[in-house]
Amino acid sequence: MNDAQLLRYSRQIMLPQVGIEGQERLLASRVLIVGLGGLGSPVAMYLAAAGVGTLVVADFDAVDLSNLQRQILHGSSRLGMAKVDSARQTLAELNPEVRVEGYKGSLTDATLPPLVAGVDAVVDASDNFATRFAVNAACRSAGVPLISGAAIRTEGQVAVFSGRPGDPCYQCLYPRDGTIDETCSANGVLAPLVGIVGSIQAAETLKVLLGVGDTLTGRLLLIDALAMEFRSLRLRVDPACALCGAAA
Amino acid sequence: MRVSIPTPLQSYTGRREVEAGGATLAEVLSDLDHQFPGIRFRMIDEQDRMRPHIRFFVNGGPVRDLAQPVGERDEIVIVHALSGG
Repeated sequence: MNDAQLLRYSRQIMLPQVGIEGQERLLASRVLIVGLGGLGSPVAMYLAAAGVGTLVVADFDAVDLSNLQRQILHGSSRLGMAKVDSARQTLAELNPEVRVEGYKGSLTDATLPPLVAGVDAVVDASDNFATRFAVNAACRSAGVPLISGAAIRTEGQVAVFSGRPGDPCYQCLYPRDGTIDETCSANGVLAPLVGIVGSIQAAETLKVLLGVGDTLTGRLLLIDALAMEFRSLRLRVDPACALCGAAA
Repeated sequence: MRVSIPTPLQSYTGRREVEAGGATLAEVLSDLDHQFPGIRFRMIDEQDRMRPHIRFFVNGGPVRDLAQPVGERDEIVIVHALSGG
């Protein structure tokens, strides 16, 4: 690291869990962020600011006026712009040292494996179950850690799935059979809730990359922003899971 | 025992925590339905299977069998899958 980098990351380097070695590890890391909406915004901004070297940002959508209440990567001047391009601009301003690779295509069982290959972690900040199950399957197949978050109304959920055999995956929690989406457009969402959930995802991602602390691996964190209560539940491998169970 | 109700089902209970009784998870759900008619069908289908977006946790751990015995001091958390982002 040069002097400017040492200064930029100094408040993080002084943490005993990070240090120069940890910061260099972050700079050499590559993370896929699936979705650049309410959750993907704080995730991308914190990971860029913290110096994660390469961010692969994926979203097919364009910025809409109704996004701006909570999707803080984007602004009024970006209406109609691809979210990937808007993200590039915001992240470049935050930290021009971070390499940002964009993907604007659909995210399916066919397209995800090449995106997941070669990353150190995947952050699921998507807004539908079809993508969530496809991301999980790709991560489980590649053995890549998945930092999963979801938010709607005033409640959120966060979990980390290691991708290792013997640990539960997202499909051990919820079976992949036609679960119906509840959308923010139909149900609403409290703006800072996605900031809370996304920030927790970003923190967990840094911990996973650094190999420090106790991550949410094997746990489901429930967030109730109305009561402002957090609750952690244990997860286990589902013997009926097609990816992890006895049939796998 | 204390049962935590997810937000989408609080339209039945009017609150996020309720008291219910029973010797098994199935009996607790029946008691909930007695108190709050219609709530069980939102969690359990016609074939007595858990709906895929509903999960049950007893004392912090997942339960996948409705015949799971439960005690008066146990705490049940009902979780509703979220996909929003």
